[in-house]
Amino acid sequence: MAEITFDGVTKIFGDDIRAVDELSLHVADGEFMVLVGPSGCGKTTALRMLAGLEDITSGSLSIGGAVVNNVLPKDRDVAMVFQNYALYPHMSVEKNIGFALKIRGDSKSEIKRKVGEAAAILHLTDYLERRPKALSGGQRQRVAMGRAIVRSPQAFLMDEPLSNLDAQLRVEMRLEIARIQRILGVATVYVTHDQVEAMTMGDRVAVLRAGKLQQVDTPQDLYDHPANEFVAGFMGSPPMNLVRCHVRPGDDRVEVDFGDQTIELPWHYTSSHELPASGLDVVVGVRPEDVIITDASSPNTIKTRVERREALGAEILVHLSHLDSSADALANEQGALRDISRRSSLVAKMGPRVQVAVGDVLSVQISPEHAHFFDATTGVTLRKRKP
Amino acid sequence: MSERSAHMSVMTSSAPRVRRMTLRRRRQVAGFLFALPAIALVVGFIGVPIGQAVYYSFTQWNGLTSTWIGPSTWAQAFHNSNLWTALENNALLLLAVPFALGLPLGIAVLLHQRVAGWRIFRSIYFLPTAISWVVLGLVAERFFAYQGTLNSIIHALGFSHVNTNMLGYESTALSALGITFVFTMIGTNTMLFLTGLATLDPSLEEAARIDGAGSWRIFRSITLPHLSRFIQLAFVMTVIALFSALFSLIFVMTGGGPGYATTTMEFLIYQTGFNQGDFGTAALYGLILFVLTGIVGVVQLRLIGSNE
Ligand SMILES: Nc1ncnc2c1ncn2[C@@H]1O[C@H](COP(=O)(O)OP(=O)(O)OP(=O)(O)O)[C@@H](O)[C@H]1O
Ligand SMILES: [Mg+2]
Repeated sequence: MAEITFDGVTKIFGDDIRAVDELSLHVADGEFMVLVGPSGCGKTTALRMLAGLEDITSGSLSIGGAVVNNVLPKDRDVAMVFQNYALYPHMSVEKNIGFALKIRGDSKSEIKRKVGEAAAILHLTDYLERRPKALSGGQRQRVAMGRAIVRSPQAFLMDEPLSNLDAQLRVEMRLEIARIQRILGVATVYVTHDQVEAMTMGDRVAVLRAGKLQQVDTPQDLYDHPANEFVAGFMGSPPMNLVRCHVRPGDDRVEVDFGDQTIELPWHYTSSHELPASGLDVVVGVRPEDVIITDASSPNTIKTRVERREALGAEILVHLSHLDSSADALANEQGALRDISRRSSLVAKMGPRVQVAVGDVLSVQISPEHAHFFDATTGVTLRKRKP
Repeated sequence: MSERSAHMSVMTSSAPRVRRMTLRRRRQVAGFLFALPAIALVVGFIGVPIGQAVYYSFTQWNGLTSTWIGPSTWAQAFHNSNLWTALENNALLLLAVPFALGLPLGIAVLLHQRVAGWRIFRSIYFLPTAISWVVLGLVAERFFAYQGTLNSIIHALGFSHVNTNMLGYESTALSALGITFVFTMIGTNTMLFLTGLATLDPSLEEAARIDGAGSWRIFRSITLPHLSRFIQLAFVMTVIALFSALFSLIFVMTGGGPGYATTTMEFLIYQTGFNQGDFGTAALYGLILFVLTGIVGVVQLRLIGSNE
């Protein structure tokens, strides 16, 4: 068991493909770290460098305090679960799981005992004699896990281990992997592009974009206090509404213009955030669950029109466009064109029993304590520090 | 309602009209029909000649007229020491097979790892494959000759008093032939193994490396098992080539000599038939060779089948 430290690690493929760019990240001993980000952002590359399968262009990478830049994979004592599992096809499940132990020179009885234990944890005891070909996807996944845990390595590395499973099995294995990791207490780096996995499994989550680290935080902090527009938009489903507006910080309140409508937010944003001078643009972020329908008589609302409605069973996503005075006229026009030509600008998440239909005009409020402000040019949060 | 009953009546009336074969039966019939052309070709070009060979082995045949003499050829043939020499030579040449497989395997693994210079080497090993065995035989003959390349190399290395003449002695001619055979097989077998290696999932090797395996262990535990099918195939092809494709090499390199030192079954058939005009005995030898090759093939098919 050991901690893992990326210190300015960079990987350049060929001449100019910066797959990982100055990555600095510390994974504490026993910690479950999730690497998340869109496709091609360098997650796999970071993991492969950690495993020793890919050379490091610059920077230093250490496991358990020792720099491993030039250590061969076989001497790093890390275990990896591959996306396609990479089970040895001509070996039985038992041999697959015990392969590393055999190479290490453990005695036959020792191997049998450890493989037996791992198989019991993973409910594989009945399949030990089978070849991988004769296993279901979920069983193969568990064999791949077994191969990793049987070694009691310094660290677990997992590259989208659940992406080949169906939705239900994924939920099951998600819990299973998190449970096993907690029991074993081995530092784990887990790559995924599934934000539910990221939110539910990680002690902390590192968000990558185009090879650069965007933010590392606990899942809740990441969700509540995204460091920039990218993280705000990436975490959460549906993503946070990001609307470019004027702000007017005042003495007792902050006024935000949505088109030609204005809402007021509490004054404390001026102290917790670095808001720009009156009249300049910012990007205001509001989570869909913080867009609240009220009746037209309540203060501080904006008028919106329902453009689209997606019923997801437990909740309804309502796509809204805010009505400008110019748009108001448009909304009153009849005709099919109107429905398809207008873009929605806010998504609201509502309870399943809310009665809304396309074309309804709704008054919505923004949950006053849950607004986010981002710099209009850099996208970086304007929050001064975590509250 | 009426539409539905009409539909029903079609269903019931169609049953007796079309006599339904079971799916299994229909597959068998279709399979037979598709195999028919191949069966006809095999019977026509292989079955008939084999039958003829069996017939001629009971005759005295000079290529033009044949007279039935019964099984006497069979009785005599097994007393002919040349037959036993040829069989022994064939058996000894089998010793070349491990080399004809091992060398290409090593080369393929190295090429697969993209060792320095692999592009050039790829062309070099491939070249013999594209050259006629007659030409290869001529080149080999020049190589082993008293004033040939091999001795030049030995002299260049400083051993000027050493002179080899492998093709000139009964004790070494067969070895020279075996070495030449190995060389001619390298290209084909290397290609076969490279194809096998290309189908090896690279993440298996990565997984093994992370599991702590070194190169040798990866070769033994991952690469070799993966290649086993390809090695079996190469084995069959090599043995069959050894039994039935050495003729051109022998013809240009040694003519079967010195003495009978490099006469294989294949060459013996030629000599018996065309040099001695005894086509009846030649046909019998042909049958023996056919049976031997057939045994290798059957054993091999069994091996491959048992892996399923
Ligand atoms: N061997 C390679 N040679 C050249 N470029 C590569 C190589 N491997 C990866 N890349 C590039 O590096 C970048 C990062 O790739 P990587 O596989 O790490 O992405 P990822 O975050 O794992 O994506 P995904 O979620 O799709 O798996 C990509 O732009 C990719 O094209
Ligand atoms: Mg990846």
